[in-house]
Amino acid sequence: MANKEVLDNASLQRALTRITYEIIERNKGGEDLVLVGIKTRGEFLAHRIADRLEQLEGVRIPVMAIDITNFRDDIPDHHDDLGLNQAERLNISEKNIVLIDDVLFTGRTIRAALDALIHIGRPKTIALAVLVDRGHRELPIRADFVGKNIPTAQNEKIKVFVQEIDGKDAVEIVH
Amino acid sequence: MKRHLILEDGTVFEGLGFGAPATTFGEIIFHTAMTGYQEIITDPIYDGQMIVFAMPVIGAAGIHAEAYESVKPAIRGMIVHDLAEVSVNRQRRMNLDRFLKQHNVPGLYQVDTRKLIRHLRETGPQKATIVDFADDHAVDQLVATVLTNKQVQNTATLKPYANPGRGRHIVVIDFGLKHGILRMLGDYDANVSVLPYTTSVDEVLTLDPDGIILSTGPGDPRSLPDSVLTLIRVLQTKAPLLGIGLGHELFALANDATLAPLSSEHHGMNHPIQEIISRQIFFAMQGQGYAVDNDSIDRKKLFVTYRDLVDGAVQGLRHREYPAFSVQFFPDAAPGPLEATAVFADFFETVEDYVEHHS
Amino acid sequence: MSNITANNVLFIGAGANDFGREAEYDAAIYQVMPELRGHGVNVYLIDENPYSLSLESLAATAIWQPLTVENIKAVIKQYQIDTVLPLFGGERALRLWSQTVQAWSHGDGPVPQTLGLTIDMLLRVNNVAVLTSMMADAGLPVITNHVAKAQEDANELLREIKLPLMVRALHPNQANTRQIVERLDEFETAVNSAKSQSMTQEIVISRAINGMKEVSLEVLRDFRGNKMQIGASEDMDPIGIHTADSLSVSPTLTLSDQILEKMRFYAFQVADLLDLRGVLHVQFAVDDLTNTIYIIKISPYIDQMASRMALVTGYPVMLVAINLAMGVALEEIVLSHDFGKKMAMMEPMMDHVTVKLPIFPFGELEQAGVSVNRQLNSIQKSVGSTIGFGRTFIEALEKAIRSAHFNNASFSPTNMSHSSDDALIQQLIHPEDNRVLLLVEAIKRGYEIDELAELTNIDEFFFYQLGHLLKLELEVEQQADSVEALRRAKKYGLSDGLLARFWQTNFKNIATLAHENHIEPTFKALEPSAGEFPENARQYYATYEEENESLPVSDDTVLVIGSGAFRMGDAAAGGYATTIVLSELRRLQYHTVIMNNNASDATLLQNLADKQYLEPLEISDVMKVVALEKPIAIIVPGNRRKLIDALTDLKQNVLILPKEKHVPNGPDDTETEFALNVFSDGHNIYPINITQHMTGELRIVPEIAQLPIQLAQTHLENPGVYQVIWYQDTSEWVKHVDVPDISHDTWLRPMPFGQVAFMSKVMQVQWLRMTVRALLSRMTLQDNELLVNVNKLILQADVAMIASDINYALHLQPTQTIDGTRFEIGVGIKYDE
Repeated sequence: MANKEVLDNASLQRALTRITYEIIERNKGGEDLVLVGIKTRGEFLAHRIADRLEQLEGVRIPVMAIDITNFRDDIPDHHDDLGLNQAERLNISEKNIVLIDDVLFTGRTIRAALDALIHIGRPKTIALAVLVDRGHRELPIRADFVGKNIPTAQNEKIKVFVQEIDGKDAVEIVH
Repeated sequence: MKRHLILEDGTVFEGLGFGAPATTFGEIIFHTAMTGYQEIITDPIYDGQMIVFAMPVIGAAGIHAEAYESVKPAIRGMIVHDLAEVSVNRQRRMNLDRFLKQHNVPGLYQVDTRKLIRHLRETGPQKATIVDFADDHAVDQLVATVLTNKQVQNTATLKPYANPGRGRHIVVIDFGLKHGILRMLGDYDANVSVLPYTTSVDEVLTLDPDGIILSTGPGDPRSLPDSVLTLIRVLQTKAPLLGIGLGHELFALANDATLAPLSSEHHGMNHPIQEIISRQIFFAMQGQGYAVDNDSIDRKKLFVTYRDLVDGAVQGLRHREYPAFSVQFFPDAAPGPLEATAVFADFFETVEDYVEHHS
Repeated sequence: MSNITANNVLFIGAGANDFGREAEYDAAIYQVMPELRGHGVNVYLIDENPYSLSLESLAATAIWQPLTVENIKAVIKQYQIDTVLPLFGGERALRLWSQTVQAWSHGDGPVPQTLGLTIDMLLRVNNVAVLTSMMADAGLPVITNHVAKAQEDANELLREIKLPLMVRALHPNQANTRQIVERLDEFETAVNSAKSQSMTQEIVISRAINGMKEVSLEVLRDFRGNKMQIGASEDMDPIGIHTADSLSVSPTLTLSDQILEKMRFYAFQVADLLDLRGVLHVQFAVDDLTNTIYIIKISPYIDQMASRMALVTGYPVMLVAINLAMGVALEEIVLSHDFGKKMAMMEPMMDHVTVKLPIFPFGELEQAGVSVNRQLNSIQKSVGSTIGFGRTFIEALEKAIRSAHFNNASFSPTNMSHSSDDALIQQLIHPEDNRVLLLVEAIKRGYEIDELAELTNIDEFFFYQLGHLLKLELEVEQQADSVEALRRAKKYGLSDGLLARFWQTNFKNIATLAHENHIEPTFKALEPSAGEFPENARQYYATYEEENESLPVSDDTVLVIGSGAFRMGDAAAGGYATTIVLSELRRLQYHTVIMNNNASDATLLQNLADKQYLEPLEISDVMKVVALEKPIAIIVPGNRRKLIDALTDLKQNVLILPKEKHVPNGPDDTETEFALNVFSDGHNIYPINITQHMTGELRIVPEIAQLPIQLAQTHLENPGVYQVIWYQDTSEWVKHVDVPDISHDTWLRPMPFGQVAFMSKVMQVQWLRMTVRALLSRMTLQDNELLVNVNKLILQADVAMIASDINYALHLQPTQTIDGTRFEIGVGIKYDE
């Protein structure tokens, strides 16, 4: 069976646009804002949002990417390798962080990201933006900015495609 | 029959009469849209105006049941180059000539409309009249006529009414609403309450809306009472809000921006509009003589979301603190390009998100 | 800013002219090559067409080679081509490039990048089945074929697809008849009959679209996904008649905004689906009673619609298209000062009406004793088209008709009364090229408009319009010399010539009467803002209203009369000739004004002349432009005898571009035609060379041509390229031939434009430019030096001009062989092995 497209290109753009507007609404002035994208696709989405903010405000908001593969609590022997060298590691202390990921599912990735962020600094606030919230949370985590809520069955897979690596922008349910 | 169009600056155009044989007065503007004449002449934003169409042949698509933007023509006169005849059938319910006759609106055809438009492009809109004889008496009458600035009062509903649906509850504040907005809300199965613009804050809030729309409407928004601006200032903090056309201008005024006349009035669907955030260009029906003065915008309150790439005019605003935004162009695609309807998708996604987070 | 990195860009040309392939591709390439060079890249072009202008352009390295996969690969290798642009060469270039890519092997190095469409999409576009299913998957309304075997399945399809249906056999055993089912009670019979024709007893059911309206939209898209509509047209003739053979109107007049917006939306979706960076033509079938729309064809490349839209809207389609292909965003396209600053990103609006009228070759063929199938159907029969511009449908139609026929004598609705009622009805149902006349005749005989609309599937609007025209003509005819009637007639585009015929006088008297009563044409600018903005317009059309916008260009203007629509025969090279003339006049620093009405060649490109009049080319039209522009000279192709005489009679300075009135026959299978080619500068005659012409092929004889003494003493007053023709019995290509005594069995004629174009390319001598200089007494010393020795210039030409393989049988079903020289449509070239 073919994949089912649940978010087409235009809707995906609109979702990112709306998330950007909502980030502006909640972060008056955009001061001390840092976008943190969770690798791989979250990073691209973070840059897209930064692009949008730049179009609107003429200011580039710093973007940092983190790789939390080694921070997952469901992976034994995790340590603090975020895949960041010193230059990429921004000072996030006293900053308003918006953590960005493509899909919100059990919440474990986010929790790991929170751990990682707190590990490297002391942010003022952390908010969460996701392109897709598919439900099935296992932890008390809720996104502040959601592109689209897509109810799913546990056994389904959600795949986010981004132009930068997949050659198209879309969200599909993979069978 | 030979009839005449007289402009306030004394210019006279000759043509043949169609529609009603009445004498008429109004402000004359030109429209470059090539399609959608029925929607345009029934759109309440043109209340009290006369429209010259650049499209040289008008009428060949007839009058359709589904192309009304209000139940009758809003215009005072219609000037075209060539008037087409059609047969009346299941689809084309009526022809333009008969439609205008029924509603006592005069038209003039076989006019050198290109000359007239090139003239109006230089002078801007003017008072004008369609009469049988272009004599001194007609000119005196025209000069003496004072056109109303009560167009909103003429066209907006006086009483609340509902357009029920099973989806989100949307309150529309009516300043001279066009049907296209209701059609779009219908597409989202919204449960719609249309309220007069004189409604109080409490009357709106007791309805507990999921979203609020400030409708399109005719004329100069500054002729409306200040109570409207007060109403908007409160409502924008209570639920997602979308202002369209006149509603956009009022949203701007409510947030301390001012309006300035455009260097040239624009009525048509050929200007590229850019969504600033995504740089995407699209086209939409536009009809405006004023625009929000870019320099008057308090950037701490509002930011610009859309711009007309031809004249640089502000085409959309958004509040920094609330899910409240507005567009100058007409996103209901009646008539006009369908890509503009994405504004309604934005609005309903905002509404869904708002409901999600505030329930 | 372009987001493409390219060094050496290759255009693939469209090749020889054919049905559906006029000079629009060559004109487009000719126009965009300098623009592309502005992007800092080296431009290359491969094409085979001897009539190609682009091959003579200085903006590119031209490779004059037959269009084959091998040649394209060789060119890519030789010139280190890194980028290929197939979208300007039409369907054929697209197919060739696909084949080249598919034939690419590892050893060939990296495949050059393709501009406009990805290779993957290109391959899909060339496969209709793949393309259709891709569009269907995307939810676009395409016509899908459903296969059924059991009666129950067929019944399900009946409910699903709805009437009318088309039923035909799958795997037909022999003849496969398509049956249109319009009524429920016809369904079972049709199914059974189709089953019986199928080897597997399976049938194909699809929605029948015959009789629906055919509508075309032209849109564009940039790499960011921004989309814009350029224009739209509606065919008067319903689906079932090839769109090229249809009378077509732009802008659309009878369609509602809602339907058009839906089509626009679909066209945009297609552009997105293809990830196109360029222009796209989408053809739709529309039933506006039921709001049904189908996409019937998509063409994501330059085609006739693209060039037609460029002409009728004034929007520079080609220049924008090349920028899009180069990865420039719509809002960042910078056009030359010839165009408005923001024109590229504004949707063109029209305040005029245009009618495209197809030109059929039936008349010419019939005169030569060749009869063909004149019935219009889904296979193209027209060979060219003209466009009429006006402010009403009738005015535009009248002007298109006059453009098509050069004079009105053969066309007036008032002279069609011979056919019987039955014949009339039959022809209304099965239309031929004269259907407009028949429609008028039917109205005249009192048929109800709604009845006619139903019978013909033509929108009633057109019948009302034709009814008006009929009424107008009858009234005017009865009011001889009435100023009021004259005023009304002029408003609707009736020509002085037609009025003269009605009133039994000549056009000069009509012109005088009009002039005395201040009934003067007003020229309106054709520009894409419909009056919204002050324009820097160069294109004008005449109408009769209050305000004239055209002011004289200069006091040294040369007026060039174009050659109008393509016809069979040498006229296909007419566009080439006119364009070269304009170019040479500009080089000589004259101000130029062109009159023409053909969208499919380069003559009306916006930046080629100082001003363009999009007008019919009758004497009265020409004189109206002459009265305004007061040209110092008028250049007219020599085949327009009547026009030349009339202009001379009116004391105009006429310069004739030598051309025969009728294209001569070519040699038949048993003959060989020789030509001694010479150039006359108006004083002396210079030998050029000798050519040998056998059926389907023309070569240069490799010897030095000498001027026979009788010819040396002749004075050819009108400068130009001429040829002395004689026939000789030989079936071999010769290396030497004796010029016979030219006072016997030879004749002198102007060299056909096609041969002039060929010769100019082979010899690298621009014979038409030379002719223009001679006509204007602007010959230079170098010219004279060249002419003295020109017969020694090329003795070893390895290239021959060959007739291209035109499928006359498919298009015209002629009863006899068609003489490819006399009724030539296109030619190609062949190199010696």
